[in-house]
Amino acid sequence: MIRQLLLPALLVLAACGQQGSPDIELHNAWARPTVGQAPAAVYVTIDNKSGSDDRLTGAFSDHAAMAMVHQNEFIDGVSKMRMAGEINIPAGETIEMTPGGTHVMLEGLRAPLKPGDRFDLVLRFKESGDKTVKVTVMKPEGQ
Amino acid sequence: MTRLRLVLWVMVALAAVGALSLVLQSRSPTVRETALGTIGGPFTLTGSDGKPFNSATLNGRPAAIFFGFTHCPDVCPTTLARLVKLRRQLGKGDDALSIVFISVDPERDGPAEVGSYAELFDAPVVGLTGSPADIEKVKKQFGVYSAKAPLPGGNYSVDHTATVFLLDSNGAFVATLSPQEGDTVALDKLRRIAA
Repeated sequence: MIRQLLLPALLVLAACGQQGSPDIELHNAWARPTVGQAPAAVYVTIDNKSGSDDRLTGAFSDHAAMAMVHQNEFIDGVSKMRMAGEINIPAGETIEMTPGGTHVMLEGLRAPLKPGDRFDLVLRFKESGDKTVKVTVMKPEGQ
Repeated sequence: MTRLRLVLWVMVALAAVGALSLVLQSRSPTVRETALGTIGGPFTLTGSDGKPFNSATLNGRPAAIFFGFTHCPDVCPTTLARLVKLRRQLGKGDDALSIVFISVDPERDGPAEVGSYAELFDAPVVGLTGSPADIEKVKKQFGVYSAKAPLPGGNYSVDHTATVFLLDSNGAFVATLSPQEGDTVALDKLRRIAA
């Protein structure tokens, strides 16, 4: 009897572990419009509501050939955009990507982005796995 | 004896003058480079219509000049959108300030590319490009740095000076806007030149 109860309980626990005990929520994903072949930058707010750290390891979108997490730096007035590597999302903290800082760059868009467009972006986390968020294309002024 | 002393003093004086002139000579070029009056100056580039664009066209109203590239997804649209917003906050209409975007990526940015990029901002923005030689020349005039930085997948980004150059209505350089300074400071600077 105990064993019968224990097995489903263990399965539930295992499932929790896979889907991520760190509880990541994505909010407020937005991008500016684009033209021609130019890439887009998506800004997302990542909320780690759990008690343990997680890491952002990658990004994917069906709307673009390639998605990369980028970090911009200003050094002596010069703007430099580079791959960000893994980004630590500490327990209980919120990371807000903002213009001029970190963004997800979408290269090879299926079509240029227009205000009002909406599409899915997947962010991959080391502990929590893949999380999907709806990106809204804002007016050029952004937020 | 007195005469020898005099000769020696003359030699000391000559040596001092020589040393001083050497110091001045070695210093003067850097002094000239950082003088306000030498940033900017007249230039001719290519407009979004494919025709030559002379900087004298900008005279008659102040201008904010930003160097960037159309494949720049973050800093460039952020800066141009910020300039459009600041011009709106000035409350004197779109004629109070010209916003000028100059491409530092002439290989990818032809007149059509800078033209459609400039139209993204729902407000008048002048998009300019030119031959690589033209662009190099204007970069030098404004002391702007740019260099290609390869991206995975074969494309490239461009590292570039993100400072905005403010010109008065005679085309003379007066101040810069930094991406990191607050909007209050930026707006004060714009008010001064758009007065």
